[in-house]
Amino acid sequence: MDCISARSKNIKGKGQSKLKRRESLAGLLFVSPTIIYFIVFFLLPLAVCIYASFTNWNILSPNRVFVGTLNYERLFVDPKFWKALKNTLFMLIPIPIYITFALLFAYACHKNILGQKVFRAIYYLPYISSIVALTLIWMWLFNSKYGLVNNFLSLFVDNPPSWLSDPFWTKWMIVIMISWKLIGFTSIYYIAALKSIPKSYYEAAQIDGAGPRQQFFKITLPLLTPTTFYLLVIGMIGSLQTFVEVQMFAPDGGRGYGVGTIVFYIWQKAFSSSQMGYACAIATVFGLFILVITVIQFTLSRKWVFEGN
Amino acid sequence: MKKKILIVIMCLTFTLSALGLAGCKQAAKLSTSDDSIEPKVTEEPAETTETEEKTKVTFMGWGTDAEITTFKEMIAQYETKYPDIDVEYIVVADNEFDTKLQTMIGAGQCPDAFYSHIDRMMKYAATGNLYDLTDYVENNEIFDPDNVWECLINLYRFDGNMQGSGSIYALPKDVSVFPVFYNVDLFKAAGVTPPTIDNPWDWNDYLEAAKKLTTGEGENKIYGTGAYSLESAVWSNGAEWVDQETLTKVKIDDPAFIQALQWCADLRLVHGVAPSASETESLSDYDRFKQGKLAMVGAGTWSLADFWANCDFEWDVMNWPVSPNTGKSEIWFGSAGLSVSSTTANPEAACNLIAYLSFNEDAQRTAYTMGQAIPMLKDMAYGEYMNFEKPPASKEVLFDILENHARLATQSRTFNQEWFNEFNSNIDAVFNGEMTAQQYCESIKDTIQQLLDDSNAQKAEYSKK
Repeated sequence: MDCISARSKNIKGKGQSKLKRRESLAGLLFVSPTIIYFIVFFLLPLAVCIYASFTNWNILSPNRVFVGTLNYERLFVDPKFWKALKNTLFMLIPIPIYITFALLFAYACHKNILGQKVFRAIYYLPYISSIVALTLIWMWLFNSKYGLVNNFLSLFVDNPPSWLSDPFWTKWMIVIMISWKLIGFTSIYYIAALKSIPKSYYEAAQIDGAGPRQQFFKITLPLLTPTTFYLLVIGMIGSLQTFVEVQMFAPDGGRGYGVGTIVFYIWQKAFSSSQMGYACAIATVFGLFILVITVIQFTLSRKWVFEGN
Repeated sequence: MKKKILIVIMCLTFTLSALGLAGCKQAAKLSTSDDSIEPKVTEEPAETTETEEKTKVTFMGWGTDAEITTFKEMIAQYETKYPDIDVEYIVVADNEFDTKLQTMIGAGQCPDAFYSHIDRMMKYAATGNLYDLTDYVENNEIFDPDNVWECLINLYRFDGNMQGSGSIYALPKDVSVFPVFYNVDLFKAAGVTPPTIDNPWDWNDYLEAAKKLTTGEGENKIYGTGAYSLESAVWSNGAEWVDQETLTKVKIDDPAFIQALQWCADLRLVHGVAPSASETESLSDYDRFKQGKLAMVGAGTWSLADFWANCDFEWDVMNWPVSPNTGKSEIWFGSAGLSVSSTTANPEAACNLIAYLSFNEDAQRTAYTMGQAIPMLKDMAYGEYMNFEKPPASKEVLFDILENHARLATQSRTFNQEWFNEFNSNIDAVFNGEMTAQQYCESIKDTIQQLLDDSNAQKAEYSKK
């Protein structure tokens, strides 16, 4: 600490030596790829998007007329936007499901169950498979008459749901699919986090007479909260951006737009209806929405995330 | 305070990087789809020696593997014929094509020539992105416009307001006819005689035939008909989704429209001669037909190759029945076009390329012998194609449809298709019997009208320039 402040004093002081300037230039050069990348691929598009949201741009012709807040006013009375928002929030359901299962699975792996490496590979497989290939397989699994799922369900119920044509069930199918897909990916994080908990904590707890259950709830779970928090934030942003599943299972947004999500709606508006300006307005509002949710998550996190003391 | 700022910065970074990730994924997908199939004609060693002096033309399209192979061959032929031109062929997946093309136009990097979807041609033309081909068509050295089906050339005309008249903005790459395919074996077994061009069925004949053809139970159930083309029913009955003169007024509450819609639904609901909703969901009419469990199905001529390969029964084509109320029969026809960019540096080379790809005799011959399409050149259609040994036997039906019964779908003539998608989005309610056709049409008419108005307003705005 002393060292750093001494240095910064030096920099602020009587002007930098040639060496110092060279050093900071080198430092800047080292971070420049990231900064340039960030500016070109994040900041500029963001700025263009916000600008375009105030115009009637259609992407096809270069002239964009400034229309003020018209796009935003339209958005709030657009019933499809609200439907899409509802469908999007539905996609948050998988998060608690896959986090719970991933934790259980990671815990089991951590406890050295026979064949854990094989299981780990198998569970991770869905995450690296092509989502288009997966959805095609799922379409067969969930085929209402010939699908494996309904054949199994028909043992217990008379009329198993038509997963692909009833939007309500299509959404549940997507929930199941996302959960299934992310269990392996999520559990990798938990396995790593579990490995980083020092064994000495458990030994100390054992000496003090804590049983396995107490150990789990008093040591393991609190020490996993930073990982859980990270997964929650990432998971929520990912869920809110559900797109490909909708495009595959309900290419037109489903009956009565019962499946279409916001990102899907943005894409439709931008590229099939040529209303890029309006699409940008939705994107901007939705981006703010995600930002607010993320800020709330970070604020709440202070109450439950264990950061060591 | 510092902590708060840090938190905000972290939030921002998380959000932005997550948003960015989604974008990158899409971009990565786009680029892989190019790289994997892009033939890279330019990089073949034999060609590179002379590329410096060659005129370069970029051409972007989508297609099945077979179509891409054919196009590669045609492009090679074209390059032999015009040795000073070098074509770069970019292939994009069909569902990503429009997104990519619009992005390229937005970035000022439009390819010289590209596929032009019939529903979207007007959009590109109205925004000034397409090269006017009218003069070229009249004075070109590659094909004779009189030898091409007239409806096909007119299809790609646009006068700044309506599609179908005015300047030509695309050449047809292919034509698809949508007849009724029927299983000849099932017809013989049920003792049903198919209609002919001169002696067509009306709806009642069709229903009677479908009843006779529907047999069996459970796994052996055979249905008489698949879903009946709603377009054919509506138009043949003298009704329209939208008035044809101005394309501004939704007419789905017209009794003739409602009658046609209800008739289509009743084939399933009342008469039980078409598979139910859940049956269609688990096995499409098209696949059911291929398995020999459906006697009549509407399908496009793009299915020919599939039927040749996968139907182990005899099949043929017939006209859509006439409405008993009007005595006429109408059905849509489809086509994909090839357009030239208005910003191309080499309009002549680009025009010659699309004309060559569209009307080259070898290309046409390859397309029909492989079952991808039927010929667009009339002399070839009525000449060698009639003697082509593969089914359908009644090839003249296809030409009769094209010359006398085919029309462009209404949604292809409006600026965007949202109103039509909205109409279809809940139409299952009628086909499942939850609503009558009358209730359905009345319930959504205002919404549809609003969307159509929006579409027209958008067109007016764009055409102003």
